[in-house]
Amino acid sequence: MLKKNTTLFLILITLFVSNTFAQQNDYKVKSGTISFKSEALLELIKAQSKELKGIVLASKKQFAFIVSISSFKGFNSPLQQEHFNENYLESNKYSTASFEGKIIEDIDFSKDGVYSIRAKGNLTVHGVVQERIIKSDVIVKHNTISLKSNFTVLLADHNISIPKVVHEKLASEINVEIKADLIVK
Amino acid sequence: MRFKKTLLITIHFFLMILKISAQDTSDIMKELEKEIQQKKEFVTATFKTTRLINGHTVENVGKGVLDIKISHRFGQINEGSYELFGLDEATIRIGGDFGITNNLMVGIGRSTFQKTYDAFFKLKLLRQSSGNNSVPITLSYIPTIALKTLKFEDPSRKNYFSSRISYTHQLIIARKFSKNTSLQLMPTYIHKNLVLLAADPNNLFALGIGGRQKLTKRVSINVEYYYQLPKYKMPNTTNSLSIGFDIETGGHVFQLHFTNSKGMTEKNLITETAGDWAKGDILFGFNISRVFTIGNRSK
Repeated sequence: MLKKNTTLFLILITLFVSNTFAQQNDYKVKSGTISFKSEALLELIKAQSKELKGIVLASKKQFAFIVSISSFKGFNSPLQQEHFNENYLESNKYSTASFEGKIIEDIDFSKDGVYSIRAKGNLTVHGVVQERIIKSDVIVKHNTISLKSNFTVLLADHNISIPKVVHEKLASEINVEIKADLIVK
Repeated sequence: MRFKKTLLITIHFFLMILKISAQDTSDIMKELEKEIQQKKEFVTATFKTTRLINGHTVENVGKGVLDIKISHRFGQINEGSYELFGLDEATIRIGGDFGITNNLMVGIGRSTFQKTYDAFFKLKLLRQSSGNNSVPITLSYIPTIALKTLKFEDPSRKNYFSSRISYTHQLIIARKFSKNTSLQLMPTYIHKNLVLLAADPNNLFALGIGGRQKLTKRVSINVEYYYQLPKYKMPNTTNSLSIGFDIETGGHVFQLHFTNSKGMTEKNLITETAGDWAKGDILFGFNISRVFTIGNRSK
């Protein structure tokens, strides 16, 4: 009988410990913006989405970020937005772009400070997965993480082909910027 | 007994590992994906442009966008080599569509067929969407007024200006079934102030059906058919049937098609089509659309 109680106690302790351990340091994007810029000879195309979502599990150094392709706005014309969704990113088939993986550095997110981190993981755009290491600047203040990151995406890496007629209007390398505020989940 | 204890501790240990690893990245990704899927999302690009072949699609142009359209029909292919299989003949409509909002567009046009002017607006009443509270279809309402400006046949009798006018009320119910396949139904009511014979009906009803199937990202095949309800059909006319292709290149859409209709406004197209596909009364034609963004950038 005593043994049984001990067992029960052990199970409870196990669950309790692992629960607090896992949830203590989970952060979730409260507000996130992702924007991109294509600087070509004849045309500058910019668009952004304010619907960036993400989670950082600081205890396990894991993260996941995702954005819906059709949430990008601010193109030069409605038709351009339609072409972006229909012909290039094919948002009907590949509705999201995402980045998930692990943070390389050991950062204690419970301590305020300014950190530069590298995130290693899988970047999925247009259904094509690329392993990438992306640098980010992180400011931690009162359990809030402010994240800022710039990186480039090569269209060819993600199987997005540019027809000859728009070569001078669309850059082959796209600049992406991410800004996000994360709070404890 | 001792063995049992060891086993239990081992199980605890496994449970603990399981608990920790249960929430790995793909799990948090799934959680995020679910959030995104729940968000209401409007379906776009059910069709490539605002016209299917002769008639309307459910599509509007965006706010502040002007779409200039030149539609051209040659003569009947069965006219033979003397008319170079119809190429010697031309029926043209020149028109422009403009988006006042993303859900309301207005348009005007002038056709050589019966020297007809037409004006319409197209209002989206429902938009197909996914996510929470999704709507399965897009619904548009298109009233059109057409003005025939041919000289009156008998100038000696008393002619009224109103005799030149006819009205069309059309609903379009459309659904984009997949990335490549869209279908629409077009119930249409047409009122003509003046008809040729006393026996001809002034009020006509037709049901249109149309669809597109994308062949590549930038090319699709389209079909459009208007069935005149037998009781409200214009005598000695046929139903309009057209088959065509949309070819898109940046800001242009080229539409190439075969049809038995000469007219390109609803009244002409639905109730005044004379050609019979079975007899070879087929016309080759094309529409060229070029869009210009003249309003502010989309926000």
